[in-house]
Amino acid sequence: MNKRIVIVGGGVGGTMLANQLAGKLYPEILRGDVSITLLSNSPDHFYKPAFMYVAFNQFFNEELKRPERSLLRPEIHFNVEEVTHFDFPGQYLKTRSAKRYDYDFLVIATGCVPAPERIEGLQEAGDHFYQYQPARQLAQRLSTIEKGRIFITVSFPQTPNVPHQCGIAPVETTLMLDDFLRRRGVRDKVEIIYTYPTVAQLLRNCLFLQRPTGEILPDIFEQKGIHFQRGFTLSKVDPDAKVAYSAEGDAQPFNILMATPPICAVKAVRESGASQAPNDEGWLPTHHETLQVYGLQNVYVIGDTVDLPVSKAGGACHNQAPVIANNITAEIRLGAPNSVYDGRVQAVAQMGLNAGMPLWYDYSHDVQPTPPTKLGGLLRNGFNRGLYWAVARGML
Amino acid sequence: MNMPEEISATPGFTALMAKLQPLVDGGRLENLVDLLSLLSDLIDVTDAAMVEKLARAFESATATTWAASNTLRQAKAEAAALPDSLSVFALLKLLNDTDTRKGVAVVLKTLNIIGRQL
Repeated sequence: MNKRIVIVGGGVGGTMLANQLAGKLYPEILRGDVSITLLSNSPDHFYKPAFMYVAFNQFFNEELKRPERSLLRPEIHFNVEEVTHFDFPGQYLKTRSAKRYDYDFLVIATGCVPAPERIEGLQEAGDHFYQYQPARQLAQRLSTIEKGRIFITVSFPQTPNVPHQCGIAPVETTLMLDDFLRRRGVRDKVEIIYTYPTVAQLLRNCLFLQRPTGEILPDIFEQKGIHFQRGFTLSKVDPDAKVAYSAEGDAQPFNILMATPPICAVKAVRESGASQAPNDEGWLPTHHETLQVYGLQNVYVIGDTVDLPVSKAGGACHNQAPVIANNITAEIRLGAPNSVYDGRVQAVAQMGLNAGMPLWYDYSHDVQPTPPTKLGGLLRNGFNRGLYWAVARGML
Repeated sequence: MNMPEEISATPGFTALMAKLQPLVDGGRLENLVDLLSLLSDLIDVTDAAMVEKLARAFESATATTWAASNTLRQAKAEAAALPDSLSVFALLKLLNDTDTRKGVAVVLKTLNIIGRQL
């Protein structure tokens, strides 16, 4: 009997997984025993980390996207469809165009979305770099500010031990901002204040969500004249007075509020009934080794929608995709999953406009920070501009 | 162990020197130093614009190779699934398929562009 694998989401997790599955299950696909369908709400695939560069005028929109079809092996059926309803007991899903897709295996790869509206006043007065249009707006502001105060905030999900999107991004953009303003010749007239909330996953009153990196940040920031403040959990923004308020009772004025906003899963996942996450955040209860969704039959989850303590970033998807590909293949061929995710995430952090720092961590090891180098910066640039697309195609 | 104390306190250095000794004895260590110097020069002259061009060339080469190998694999598999005694009519029917016509258009356009550049 034909096994239908449906992957929902055309981001990097869904795309590389679809390609890897097509390679693993090629004999079954040839025989007509397995079909793979990928559904995405967009015909284009976006390299999401490039939005961060858009905020500093380093990337054009046309450079950070490719047609999704061009990134998928021809054995994969690709349809531009937005999934609006999951029926897990019935093993089918429905799309906005009222089509029904039945599945034998489902992979949810729908990512997460910024939700600045969850903090009063943030949508009106704050800026962020996690989507193209907000990043362009931030670029306009950063390109024209002559003097004043840029206030940086980070909001974590309320689900315990779940990180915000791309853990290192607030540090990366703070250092890029410092370089950007120096290039513009206005750094001495613009104050930069990096803040971090009181609760950061399992840590308290820190500057980063992992201790070793958090401990070196004060030195790095002091060398660059970046001010920093622990224990600022953004709770409200007054758009007229341009003041950011914290849950700890502080109030800070700003000219630009560069925020890592709250995030949540996409609407269809939040409304699926599968999530037990508080605050309607929608993270799916994920088996930390097999990446199956607890309580559901034949459903896996990859990337930002998991409730795991690892970074919501492509570097996590890169290590989750082979595990899910192996596990679905093993379920079809052997009757049970056989691979284990160890929580590994790797990346090259952009530490300023020119420097990079390769890093990795997993469930049992934190990032061991190393000095950022020019070579690391060139590697990151090479990844952004070329290597990424080979990764999405499942070649690397 | 009769090693001087300051050397034995740095076992990594001792091990490295033991590995390098044959190169020193043969007068070939300088080649490696020159190579490191050349690598360092290359890193110095490499800038963001050069990396961007190299990365674009990498993507272009890998994407083209990937698409070509995908096409060949799929075409081979689909051709193998065709009946042994394939009629001319069946081939003509294949020519009328939308995807085939798109492919023919790509081939003809490729020849057209080659001609344009001659």
